[in-house]
Parts: sequence; C-alpha cells; structure tokens
Amino acid sequence: MVSLGILFSCSKKSEQVFSLLKPKDSGISFTNTLVDTKDQNILDYLYYYNGGGVAIGDINNDGLPDIYLTSNQNSNALYLNKGNLQFEDITETAKVAGKSDWNTGVAMADVNNDGFLDIYVCAVVGINGFDGQNELFINNGDNTFTESAGEYRLDFDNYSSSAAFFDYDADGDLDVFLLNHAVHTQESYGKAAVRTKRNYESGDKLLENVNGKFVDISEKAGIFGGPNGYGLGIAISDFNMDGYPDIYVSNDFHEDDYYYVNNGNGTFTESVKTYFSHLSKFSMGSDVADINHDGYPDLLTLDMLPDDEKVLKSSAGDDNLQLQKIRKEQYGYHYQYSRNMLQINQQSKHFTETGLLSGIAATDWSWSALFADYNQDGQQDIFISNGIPKRPNDLDYIRYISNNQIKKKLENTNLIDQEALSYMPEAKLKNRFYQGEKQLNFNNQTDNWVSQEATFSTGAAYGDLDNDGDLDLVTNNINDVASIYINNTKKNHLKLEFKGIATGAKAYLYHNGTLQFKELYSQRGFQSSSEPILHFGLDTISTIDSLKIVWPNKTNQLLTNVAANQTLTLEANNASKTNTNKNTADSKEYTFTKVENQLGLAYTHEENPYIDVNRHKLIPYQISDRGPALAVGDLNHDGKDDVYFGSSKFKSSQVYYQTESGFTRDSTTTILSNNNIAEEIDALIVDINNDSKKELLTASGGGEFFGRSKALINTIYDVPANARIEQLLPENFEDTSVLKHSTDKTFLFVGNSTMSNDFGKVPESYVLKTTTAPFSKLSLGNLGMVRDAIWTDFNNDSVEDLIVVGEWMQPIFLQQTNGEFKDVTKNYVNEKLNGLWRSIISFDIDGDGDEDYLLGNWGTNSKFQASQEAPMLMYYSDFDKNGKTETLVATEKDKKYYSLQGLDELSGQLVSLTKKKFTTYKDFAGKPLNQIIEKFVLNEATQFKVHTLESGILKNEGGKFSFEAFSEDLQVAPINCFAKLTIDEKTQVVCAGNYFGVTPYHGRFGGFSGALITDENTIKNGYTIGLDFFSKAVTNLETITVNNQSYLIATINNDDVQVYKIN
Amino acid sequence: MTMFKYIKSTKIVLAAVGLLVFQSCTKSEPIAITSDQFYSTVDKVTEIMIHDIFSPPVASRIYVYPNIAAYEIIAQNSDYKSLAKQIKSLPEIPKAPEKTTNLSVAALVAHIELSKQLIFTEEKMTTYRDSLYNIWKSQNSTEFETSKAYGLQVAAALKPWIDADNYAQTRTMPKYTIDTDDPSRWQPTPPAYMDGIEPHWNKIRTMVLDSAAQFKPAKHPEFSLEEGTDFHKELKEVYEVSVSITEKGDDSEEIQIAQFWDCNPYVSVTRGHLMFATKKITPGAHWIGITKIACKNSNYNFNDAVYAFTKTSIGIFEGFISCWDEKYRSNLIRPETLINQHMDEDWKPILQTPPFPEYTSGHSVVSGSASTVLTAIFGDNFQFDDDTEVPYGLPIRSFESFNKAADEAAVSRLYGGIHYRAAIDLGLIQGRNVGNHVLQSLKMK
Repeated sequence: MVSLGILFSCSKKSEQVFSLLKPKDSGISFTNTLVDTKDQNILDYLYYYNGGGVAIGDINNDGLPDIYLTSNQNSNALYLNKGNLQFEDITETAKVAGKSDWNTGVAMADVNNDGFLDIYVCAVVGINGFDGQNELFINNGDNTFTESAGEYRLDFDNYSSSAAFFDYDADGDLDVFLLNHAVHTQESYGKAAVRTKRNYESGDKLLENVNGKFVDISEKAGIFGGPNGYGLGIAISDFNMDGYPDIYVSNDFHEDDYYYVNNGNGTFTESVKTYFSHLSKFSMGSDVADINHDGYPDLLTLDMLPDDEKVLKSSAGDDNLQLQKIRKEQYGYHYQYSRNMLQINQQSKHFTETGLLSGIAATDWSWSALFADYNQDGQQDIFISNGIPKRPNDLDYIRYISNNQIKKKLENTNLIDQEALSYMPEAKLKNRFYQGEKQLNFNNQTDNWVSQEATFSTGAAYGDLDNDGDLDLVTNNINDVASIYINNTKKNHLKLEFKGIATGAKAYLYHNGTLQFKELYSQRGFQSSSEPILHFGLDTISTIDSLKIVWPNKTNQLLTNVAANQTLTLEANNASKTNTNKNTADSKEYTFTKVENQLGLAYTHEENPYIDVNRHKLIPYQISDRGPALAVGDLNHDGKDDVYFGSSKFKSSQVYYQTESGFTRDSTTTILSNNNIAEEIDALIVDINNDSKKELLTASGGGEFFGRSKALINTIYDVPANARIEQLLPENFEDTSVLKHSTDKTFLFVGNSTMSNDFGKVPESYVLKTTTAPFSKLSLGNLGMVRDAIWTDFNNDSVEDLIVVGEWMQPIFLQQTNGEFKDVTKNYVNEKLNGLWRSIISFDIDGDGDEDYLLGNWGTNSKFQASQEAPMLMYYSDFDKNGKTETLVATEKDKKYYSLQGLDELSGQLVSLTKKKFTTYKDFAGKPLNQIIEKFVLNEATQFKVHTLESGILKNEGGKFSFEAFSEDLQVAPINCFAKLTIDEKTQVVCAGNYFGVTPYHGRFGGFSGALITDENTIKNGYTIGLDFFSKAVTNLETITVNNQSYLIATINNDDVQVYKIN
Repeated sequence: MTMFKYIKSTKIVLAAVGLLVFQSCTKSEPIAITSDQFYSTVDKVTEIMIHDIFSPPVASRIYVYPNIAAYEIIAQNSDYKSLAKQIKSLPEIPKAPEKTTNLSVAALVAHIELSKQLIFTEEKMTTYRDSLYNIWKSQNSTEFETSKAYGLQVAAALKPWIDADNYAQTRTMPKYTIDTDDPSRWQPTPPAYMDGIEPHWNKIRTMVLDSAAQFKPAKHPEFSLEEGTDFHKELKEVYEVSVSITEKGDDSEEIQIAQFWDCNPYVSVTRGHLMFATKKITPGAHWIGITKIACKNSNYNFNDAVYAFTKTSIGIFEGFISCWDEKYRSNLIRPETLINQHMDEDWKPILQTPPFPEYTSGHSVVSGSASTVLTAIFGDNFQFDDDTEVPYGLPIRSFESFNKAADEAAVSRLYGGIHYRAAIDLGLIQGRNVGNHVLQSLKMK
C-alpha cells in the first residue's frame, strides 16, 4: 500500500508542468512584508490585504525579461534577469524603489515610445496618513530610471490600484486607464447613479496622451468617476472586434462592474447591463482570452467563493431574493453574485456566463487570473492566485467572537491588536492551475501541475524568464518570498515579439481549421503586467498553416507555414495595407427575423410578485413562475388559427383572433377575465368534446393558491359563446403543468407537477377518455413531478403511447394497449435517467428513420450537481414535526452529501433541528447532511434523485433508447421548450430556455439564446440565427401560419411575446 | 442516612425540620438560597442570549417561561398564588412530593432547565448549572436530589404547555414580503438589510390578553410625503432632531439617552470586507435588569424576587405580542429609508435601525408595560440608579421613577433616529394599557 502510494506520487511529479525556483538559486528574495500600525491595519484600511503587483518585461532589451515587484509598505524591487534564471536586485542603482507610503499596482509600458520599457507604479495617497504619488520611472536606457510622473502629468495622489496603458483612440501613442478604488461606505447601497458624480480620489480616469502629457478626458469620454467605484480589476480588449479597444472594470462590493464599449470616436458607452446577464459581486482581478477558438475574446472575473465545504459553510453567503430585487429595482444595480464568472463572448451579441459549467466558479479568495496555454496543448489554461491573511467574512468571527474582541479595542485605541485578529481564520491557500479542455470545461490541476506551499499571493504575471519558449509565472506574496514558477513543458510553441507601437495588435493563428486568437495587452490579472509577448501552445504541430497579424492601425500581415518552436519578431511597418473584412455576418439574412409589431400579438406577460421562498424557505426553485401559457388553434371557427395567452394570477388572459393581415385582440369575451385568479401554466385549443368545434382548455397551478382553491381548477371554455363548459373535467387541485390531447382525439393527458404549499408531494397524473361525458378518468398513479409529455407511438404498433417527463423523475414510457396504459420504461431505457426534465419533443435527429426524443433539462451551469454515480438528492418530510413539510437538497462532494443550504438558511425553517445542535458555524461547516439531520429522520423522509442535469437526446437504437447529452452550448441554462418547424423543406427543431426562479445562491440562468437543431451535427446557437432570447425566460414556442407565411411565436415569462418570421 | 429515615418517620412541620437538621448534624444543613442566586441565574440567561443572538420578542419568551416555572413552585408554599387558572391554559404543576423538598432549589432547577431548553448554547447553561449543583450537593445531597428531581418534574410538566404556544409553527410561516411599489411599506434597512424579524409573533399564545390585538393602538398619521401633513412633519422631525443633536455632539444629553436605551441585540458593522457585530441586551432584558435593581434596593427575598421578575416578564412578553401585532399590521416604513430616499442620501441614524416595521416602537410599548407593572410592585417615585448597561460600556443613569425611565426609553428612539413621534407616544400608551391589563388579570398575592 505504502509503496504504491509513493510510486503514484512519483509518477505524478514527473508530469508536473511547473517547478518552483528557490530564492537562493534565483536571487529573488523580495517579500511584501506587512506590519500593522495604528493607521495601517484591516480595520482602518479596507484594502490592507490586497498586496502588491508584478510587472515582467525586458527593461534593457537584452532578450531576457526582468521583474519588478511592488511592496505595500516598503521599497519596490527591480530584478535584472542575468540569464540562466539568475536575477540581480538593481533597485537602488536603477532608482526605482519608489517613495510612496502605500504602493499597489504596477505597469511596464514604453510610455515615451523610445524603445525602452518604462515603469508606472500606483499608490494609495491621502487616507490613513498615506503620503506619496503615482510614480513614472522613465527608462534612461542604461539600467537607470528617472522618476518623471510630474512631467507626464501622471503624478496622481489618489487611491490608485492599477493602470493600463493602451491606445484607446488608435492614434499611435499610449493612453492610460487609471483604476482607482473607493473608500465610500459599503454600509448602505445608495443609488447606483452615485457613479455619475465625479470624485478625484476614487474616480477612475481615462487619460489621453497629448504629446507626452496625459490629459484627463474621463468625463467627455463617458468614464464614470464616482465615489463608489471599488475598482480592483481592469481588462482591455477589443471585445466587439470593431478595431477599437474596449474596457472592462471589475468593481468590488455592490457597485456593478463597468463594460465600456469604445465608440471609436473618442467616447465610450458603459453597457454592462445590455451585454451581461449577471456579474461577479466582489469582483477582483480579471483576464481576457479567446478560450473557445471563435475569434472573440472571453472574460474571466474573480471573486471569493470558497469550494471547501468547511470554509464555504462558515463564510457569509449570498443575499436573499427580496434584497436582490430591491438592489436591482430600487437602487439600479445589476445582478451580481459572489463567484468567479467566465463570460463567453457570443460574437459580441452578448456574453454567456459559464463559470459553474466550466468548473471554475469557486476558487476561494482569488486575486489574479491569467489565461495562457501553460501546458502548450493548444487550449487556454488558467492560473489563479489566492489567499488572504485574515478571512474577514468568517461567520463565527462576525457573530460570536468580534463583539468581545473588537469592541473594546475600538473604544480605546482604534487598533485591533494581534490577539483580536488571531481569532479571524487565516486563508493561506495554494495558487490554482486549471487545464483548459476542448469545449468550455476546465480541469483543476493544482495538485498535479506543481508542488507548492500555500501562500497569500496577490499580483501575478507571466513571462518566459528562461527563454525556453513556455510561460513562467511570478507572484507577489504577502509576508512571504515571491514565488517563481518555472514551466518545464516540452510541447511545441510559437512566441511573438513586437517592435514599435504594437499594443492592441491581434494575432490569428490557424491550423487545421482551428483558430487561436490573441491580443497584445500586457496589463492582466490584478495590479500587474505580464511580458508584452504573444505566446501560442502548439501541442505536436510543427508547422502552422497561417498566422495573421492585425496591427492597431488596422494594417494586416499574413505569414504562412510558420514553423513551431521559434520566436518571431514582428514590426508594424512590415505590414501591408490590406483592409480587414468587417463583420460580413451582419449583412446576411438570418433564419429568423423578429417581427417588430408581433403581427398584432401585443401581449405582455406580467408575473405577479409572489416569492415562493418567502413561504417555502427551502424550496429548490420556484413553482410560481411557469407561465404564460400559449395555445394556437381556430377558436372562432373561421378556418384560421387564433392565439391564446394564459396569464399569471390577477392578470387577464387574452385571445387574439387571426385576421387577414395579422391578429386582433378579442375584446368581447368576458369569461376569461372573470376567472383571472388562476395562474395558467398550459393551454390547449382542440375539439375536446367532439362537436367539431375547438374549445380552449387551461391548466392552472402556480404554487400560490393551495388547498381546495378554485384558482387551481382546470377549465374548458367555449370562447365564442363566452361560456365555460362544466362537468367534463374532474376536480383537480394539483398544480397542473401539461395538457396533451392524443392525435386520435380519444385521450387527454393531464400532467400534475406538485401540490401548492406542499412542494415535494407527488400528485396523481391521469388520462381522460374524452369520448364520454363527463370524461372518464384513468389514473396513472403518482407518476412524479410532471412537466411535459408527448403522445407518440414508441413501439410502432400504430397505437399512440405516452412519454411523460418531469422533475426528480425518469422519463416514463407508458404503453397503450386497448385503452390501458402500462409503465414499460424498463423495456426501453436501461439507464437511470432521473432529471429535472422540463420538455420533450420527438424528432429523428440522426436521420435513421425512427423517432428520437429531445429532452430539455436543467443544464449543468448550476450549483446543482448530479451524475449516475452521485445523484443529487432531495428529501421531503415534516422534519421538525410542526405540521409543515420541507425539502432538503444535497449534492455530493468527495463521496459525501452536503446540504446546499447553510446553517442560517436551514435554521430559518428548522430552528429546532439546527441551532440547538450547532451553536457555531464551525460546528456545522463541513458536516455531511446525515450528521446535520439525524439518519433516522432522513430515512423517514421521501427521497428523490436526479442522475443527470444535461439536456440531450433519447436516441432510438433499434427500438431501445439511450441518452446522449447535447454539447455544452446547450447546457448553459434550462431548456424549457421545443417546437418543430420546416426550413428549406427540412423538418428541424428550435429550442429555447433560461430561468430566473432561483435564489441568489444559484444566480440566474440567462445565457441561452436558443438553438436550431437541424441534425446531430448541425446545431446553431440562437444568436447566430436571429433569435433574441438572451436573458429571457422563454416558456413556450409554437409555429403559426399567417397568409401562407410561417411564423414562430415565443412566450416569455414576465416579458413581451416575440414573433419571428421564419425565412 | 439516619437523618433521612428519621425525617421520613416523623410528621413535624417544615420549620421544625430545619431546626432539627441544624441541631443534629452540621453536615446536612438545609440549602440556603438567596435572591442573589436567582439574579445570577437570570443574568446567566441574559449572557447566553446575547451570545446566541435572540431578537427582542424571542428573548421575552425565553425570560418568561422559566420565571413562571420558578414562581409556580414557590407559590405552593408562600403567600403567593398560583397562576394556573389565571394564565391561558397554564396547567397546575405537580405538588412537591416530599417535605424535604427545598422549593427554592427546585425553583432554580426548573428555571435553569427550561432556560437551557429555550436558549441555543446549552453548554454555557450546563456549566453554570453543574457548578451550582455541586455546591448544593455538597451542602445537602439528600435535599438537593429531592429538590432537583422535583424541579425537573415541574419543568417537564410545563414543557407541553410551553410547546403549545405556536412558537414552532411560527418558525415555518411565510417571511415578510417586500413590496417596493408601496412607498409606505417597510423594507429592509442598512447596513445588514435583514429580513423583517418575527412577522408572525402575534400568533404566539398570549398569557392574559384576550388577543394580540386587544390593545391595538390608534392609527399613526396617514402616510404622506406632502409637505405639511402630520406624517411628513414627523418625518422631518426625526431628521431635524438628528441633525441638531449630531451638531451638539456625542456628549449631548439626547445622544447619551439614545445610546443608553439602544438595547439592540445585534448591531452589525461593516468596514470593507471586515464585518463584525456589537451586541447588547434587548429592551426586555434592560427592564429585567431594572427589576433586579428594584428588588435589590428593596431587599427582596428569594420568593419576592421571583414574584417581581415573573410579573414583569409577563408584562414584557405581552407587550411584545401586542407591539408586533401592530408592527406587521401597519408595516410602516422606517425614517431611515424615507430620509435616504427623499431628503438626504447620506444620512444615517444615530442608532442602527432594527430589522422590523416602525409602528409602534417596541421599546416604548415594552417600557410602558414593564414600568406599569414595576410601579404596581414597588410603588411610584421609586428612585433608582440604572447600571444595567455598564457591562456594555454605557454609563449609569438615575431615574426618579419607573414611569420616568419608560418615558425616556421611549423618546430615545426619536433621538436615535429610528422612530417617528407617533410610534413613541402611542406606543407608550399601548404598553401601559398592556401593563394595566396584566395587573388586573393576575392576582399573585
């Protein structure tokens, strides 16, 4: 056993990508030492633990990148690279120690364009007795520097955290974005509009280089400079690929991040709400790179969400839903959640956030993110620096310890002493490495790629320190020697160096149809700038097909058949003046064209403001927001299909009659508005009573009314007669989610999802034989929490069978034999396939002539986690025996099941079971569910399982079905609905989704823009075909023909109906 | 052992037994319990409540049940009358089985046992209990064991009654719903933006009130943001008083008063990522503290002290139910929200706004009720030096009477910037009505 263990760890070691350079070998002994003083401590200065920065660049043009490190309280240091990984501290002779009391970020850039890199060091000045100014060390070209900030008008004495040099107006010189941080109160939100005020100390600044003097043009350029910009991260990139660099600013606390789109005319438009569904809340460092090879830069912002259960459950958590609403609606902030966000650029139409799906949402107290291909396999990897000397959001500290420890200090000295601080847990953490995979996934390789000690690492930068072609890393550590990670990768690479004004240059590397795209911006991560080179990993490729460089002045340079493992030096004036083709995509006709007046279907769904978690504090998701209902059919017997929209509680449902040119709202029928207490989930327009005329059937639910409430009863209407048809349907007080009429008009399937006010109770679903009056009921038993169903002949006996899908259940195959229905699932599906299924459609996706089934599920971009081996569990019981049931959801982590909810959430409902037992958060944190709730109590509860959260295909393979997941693009959010349509005479399926009925713990699922599924290998994302579903919760899709033209109708929860012309 | 047998076999009055024990065996003196041991037990409960962080209404519940248990035990052999037929569905407790039972010990045992069940951190209570048990055991183990068994028996007998007060059910009831479309409706306040606490406290079983709404206060001035309306005048008053006393500085009488009566169990402080809490006693606990001062000044014996605490804590308990009933009926928005929205974005009240609707003021109602009960027990014009807040870094304040103290506690909410005038004035009236009703309903002597 022991020898095996050793063997295993040895073999691991040989695969390590990095080894750490020892200070005595490198000569780099720099430590960012913090000593608490009366003014300088975590109580008096909120960013006391933000640490220093790193800049890597070749200051003497000897081909060896040098390293500059900032120290918060002491002298900064410049290390000259002597080759062979030997460094010499030349700080003193170079005159770059700096004079400020509190140094922060650093940038290397050739500010005066003389061919030598200069160094700009930021400082916090004017609070806590901090003296000094931002310093600009102009390179004299002889390994000495002259501080010249005043001369360049960059001698700011404010709260700077970082500076990014870039050419915002493409005029050939370097301008600068100066990122400052706020000290504004975090105690109350205040209106978001406070950012429009201007504040010298805290306000960010855009400074234009006018003949070597930097001029503040922030206001004119549209850059916010308010007192509440807690700017910690800055990313420069041409996100929308229009040739002008855009800016993304990460702001800490409740202030939104800023996404400044460069208008190309010297101004910017802040557009974060337009392009992003949600943001990191405590946004820190960031980085940009094209991770999915589509030629558009993607963005990573870091936050501080822990993944260790012990830390997670003893740290302050997320807001509640109501507070989120206030912050959004009353104060004007965007949606923000405390976790790392990976924002995938959808060809500049919008960004789809995939941090959870990608496996990088929780990396604890994280500062720098650096994308690069560290293992040179052709995929972008991620380095994340981590750690903070004191974890100030520890709940035990806040609730139970701080009172005694801090209060007395505050009263007397205003200084927390070491004893008081010692109760705050330390977060010395390992820096993380994530290996990029082909799609959007990243693999945590922290323990495999390097042997390292835990540190408090803040600023970080990469560069090829030993000139072996791969990227090495340097981190600035608090109270520890800087870490130098030397990369030992042997795979192929290509390195690009640039001469002259090159900041913003783009490089497109093509090989075998795969694109690698990079932009030259050196300010990355956190308070740091990396070596100004472009580096490509090439795996085993020895010669690449082509390399295209687009220079900032938009000239191009194309190199073909470039050999790997070399460093190319590129110069702008070698480029030819060929213009790039600009956005040809926009001119082509999309498959779907949005009809601006909706053909008269001017219905807006308004969800009533009911919050499920106010009543059911532990419910896993809402059940009150599943409308509107949509039905298409000829209601007034004129041969043309009409449209019905079923509304939420207290809002009137609407019928729209088709006219010659479009639709007109039915204003005469009163029967529908008279029954507006119902929350309608589904509707059907069919001839249900065999009178050759079509009736309207509505399904009610909504989770709000409960018991034997009239609002829950399903109804049949004869709309033209303005009447209800009574006594055909049985009484039904369950939450009905789906009505499906069999094609032969013999059966109506009524699918029920749950019971209002008793989530977790599984109701009966049934089939009604509609050839008798009243309809006769055939119970199907308590099938599960049904969400959708289809009539389909899955056994090819020419009799319609039924497939039922729903939440916490298996897709159920019900075979019809002589009007009887039998569960035959086991004969058709061999896998355990419980999902949170929301939709199903039949479609021969593989073109083999038999029917496959497409299934919409929750998606994997979620804190829910499920697999065959470790299904997600939900327990349902009256745990505290007070007459009211609860549900508890648990997911697996390291072979144990943990409650998703923390102690505060659980005790909000189960105080008797939790607070008595766990009097500190430390007691609770890290305990699996069966140590929180007694085993016998759990055993008494009803247990539900989910084996997969992926949407996908039940593929028909000779009459048996096996499940195949869709690609990751279709897993970013729940898929709620499908519709079949014919385009170019081929039957295809369009699908849509997104969902917002979850607590801020889960966030928002808004990144799915829909998709058109043509066949197995042809699935197009909605944003490429004209669909506008980003950040919209689409509930239904139906096609309709008007004047021989096909249209697609999409209903959206709490939003306008959309109508698309199908081209 | 011999002693035990001897007592069992004779039938002499309790007083004589005490005498006999004293004479025959110095090792088995009866356990002497003073009122100080009762005070320190209640202080212990207060200390644990501060640690565990209980909201003011819940704290009032934690005080009242152990007090009633202790009172019911001592009432069976003193001038005091049982509350069994006077408080809603309170059962009669089992009679003390043995003449050897030391009712004071049993009363403390029951008090400690129920307190332990009601607070969270039991360990703190059991450590305290065990140290008392050890002393009693060493003093007279026979008497201790008998009394302990009886005390626990009473606690167990009262448990079903306590459990039936709807507390467990209210834990699962819906949270307060925020509706920012209604400009008058309460919404969470800075800095913690906590949910409204205990929105269903009016469903807790009352002791003597016929319903939570029995002393429903008059309506507050109608919400209006129009200059010149009564409501707007009161809103402006909060702001102007705050501005003017802030100018006067921290040493001003008004700020001293505001801070003295803050009684906020959990004031959260945020500095950057650093968050911490300063914790104090609740309004109810402050009045329990005043009760202790009054008992001490009057040299109350154990039984008298238990009586005074019980009656006062019933007044406090009923006061919270009455007040919370109105709070979540009127759901009135706090001055801080309105002032930040309409008058001064950066204004902060001197005290942190507590997390529940404004009308009526909890401290005013509870102070009104408690002071009324205390005045009945100890008389009006009972002068006292209030040192209750000294452990929380606040000075001693002196009062001429309980009513004057209550008046000051009430107006402290205006100085603190957390209540309008109506909530204070009408809250005091509401509280005094509750207090008087408690007095009229309970015949304890």
